[in-house]
Amino acid sequence: MREWDAQVSASGCCGRIGGKHSEFGEGEAYAHNRVEMERMGEVYRALKKALFDEDVELTVVDPRNAIWLVPALLKDARRNGLSIRDMWHGVTKGVSYNSIVMDGKVLFSGRIPKPEAAVAAVRAELASLSPGAA
Amino acid sequence: MPAIFVVVVVLILFFFGYRYYSKYLAEKVFELDKQFVTPAHEFEDGVDYVPTNKHILFGHHFTSVAGAAPITGPAIAVFWGWMPALLWVVLGTIFASGVHDFGSIVVSVRNRAQNIGTLASSVITDRARTLFLIIIFFLLTLVNAVFAIVMATLFIGNPGAVIPAVLIIPIAIAIGQLIYRRRMSAILPTIISVALLYAAIPVGQAFPITMEGPAALLGIEPNTIWIVLIFAYTWVASRLPVWLLLQPRDYINSYQLFVALGVIFLGVAVGFDTIVAPAFNTDLPAGSPFWFPFLFITIACGAISGFHSLVASGTTSKQLANETDARYVGYMGSLGEGSLALAAILACTAGIGTFAAWQESYVDFSSASGNALGNFVEGVGYFASNLGIPVALGTVFAAVVVITFAGTTMDTGVRLQRYIIQEIGEIIGLRRLVRNITLATSIAVLIPLGLALYPAGGGGDAGFAFGVLWRLFGTTNQLTAGLALAVIAVWIMSRGRNPLAAIIPLVFLLAMTTWALFIQLGEFFNEGAWLLLVVDAIVFVLAVWLIVESASAMNRVRNMNRNSGGGSDNTPSPRE
Repeated sequence: MREWDAQVSASGCCGRIGGKHSEFGEGEAYAHNRVEMERMGEVYRALKKALFDEDVELTVVDPRNAIWLVPALLKDARRNGLSIRDMWHGVTKGVSYNSIVMDGKVLFSGRIPKPEAAVAAVRAELASLSPGAA
Repeated sequence: MPAIFVVVVVLILFFFGYRYYSKYLAEKVFELDKQFVTPAHEFEDGVDYVPTNKHILFGHHFTSVAGAAPITGPAIAVFWGWMPALLWVVLGTIFASGVHDFGSIVVSVRNRAQNIGTLASSVITDRARTLFLIIIFFLLTLVNAVFAIVMATLFIGNPGAVIPAVLIIPIAIAIGQLIYRRRMSAILPTIISVALLYAAIPVGQAFPITMEGPAALLGIEPNTIWIVLIFAYTWVASRLPVWLLLQPRDYINSYQLFVALGVIFLGVAVGFDTIVAPAFNTDLPAGSPFWFPFLFITIACGAISGFHSLVASGTTSKQLANETDARYVGYMGSLGEGSLALAAILACTAGIGTFAAWQESYVDFSSASGNALGNFVEGVGYFASNLGIPVALGTVFAAVVVITFAGTTMDTGVRLQRYIIQEIGEIIGLRRLVRNITLATSIAVLIPLGLALYPAGGGGDAGFAFGVLWRLFGTTNQLTAGLALAVIAVWIMSRGRNPLAAIIPLVFLLAMTTWALFIQLGEFFNEGAWLLLVVDAIVFVLAVWLIVESASAMNRVRNMNRNSGGGSDNTPSPRE
């Protein structure tokens, strides 16, 4: 989870046309987002490479995407039998400036881990879900 | 007629539009290919190009396109009766906006996820990109002007909304610190902030703030003071880092959107309110603008909005995992916007209470324009009362939602306008303009401020001036949509397919826009409204330019197809 480099809401009239690759290339204003995007991109690519033979879907979500995010986190948590406490933790910590959430469970929140740490955490979680997996 | 009946009928029509018309577009016009490797996969980097589930993408897309504009236009347009407004919203959404939003994503995806302005350059001509930038300049100027008036009007009509609207500033700053500096969770601060915002509503009602006193002292209208204050705020806000105020407002607005939609539609469903306005207003006073063509530019967003092509081709096309998802994300997104416009129509025709109240509010076009937002928030207040929320509280709640959305739009609108002004400075060699952010920001603020305060001939009438500015805004928005539709039509033709699905709304939009602009030229000239005359004339020239470029590009592609014996998958290069 991390933000895209653009203003999002109420954008029916102006938003999402700032940012580096937008019509106006107004990248400087959102430079802080761009840094996070690049760093999270490294994590994404590392996970993609490490997990290519696993049945794992990788996706990037903007934490401002409220309509999808909260129901999805709750659904995932319920499907995986997480406790109410873990569900609450998943939603409150998961919806963050940057976080990594797997099946409703928060692996990292508030910081972008090193790619290898992210891979290790995901593999450990996969192993705990299915003991025979790598 | 019960409002819920209209909701059901419209939703059924939207369903059929999605089920059949978007399917026709997907299969016969755009010929979507499940096997096509989208840029999200081709350039996948986890940064800008990320294959994304269509439901996630829809959420992001819809949150971006929904705003205050699909509320304002319909709220004015019911002046002509609820039926014409509703028909344009429904038909425009299904046959124009759906094609536009859907097509913008498809054409972008098929062209390496390029932005619509860049596509205009490669699909039409290089001049089309220049045309696009000029249209956007005027669009942003007019957006900033009209939204300042929207906010000022709501502050005057709902002085209880001032405290909550002002409180959002420190609340947003606090969220910014928590999320961006402390890297805390976003959801709890956001929910607490929204709760605080709404808790401030009764406080605002207990301590309403008006500008009557200062206005009397200065010998000016309260409207003027509010507009100046709003632009002063926007000048300051646009100078701040985006993470400090603008982006935190995103979190608040994202949650507000769903609260507002929930209140409106649940209120309608539970209350079973009746539409009290006439289906067709046959009691129009002499001199009123006729619905044909003005209806079609009064309601832009909510029927078709050019801004959506910017959203669709900017980020959405870079995340589309499968080309066939464009139907769901693009077409469904436009249906969502149409639903918002429907809500506005119902608020102003059912939520207004009685026919006498409607008649009073819509006695002439000036009143219709001046009272539009007030009618909307009162209508929402009325719907909220069906859920047990006191009308007065519900009204202020609705005003706060619109004000916060409009304020966010203005903040970013002024930033973008400043950026464009600096770009213009670069092009014409005015280094001072490029380097001096204060100067560029001041120009970005002063131009729309001048328009917002400009009396529309004969001493000025805020309602009429706003209605006129709103129509000018509508024309530039429609021109942006027209440019995107031209790109889509040319692209379809280059593939040897039937482009009518894009050409029909394109021709209709350009005809209505040009016609309305032409009529307004005469009106402004007769009234001596010189500033508006100049703006109208420029936009008219842009419209004619767009017609010429579109026709030329289509003719070129038609000749190419004739010479080559049919279309191909190669996008035609511009002649120049």
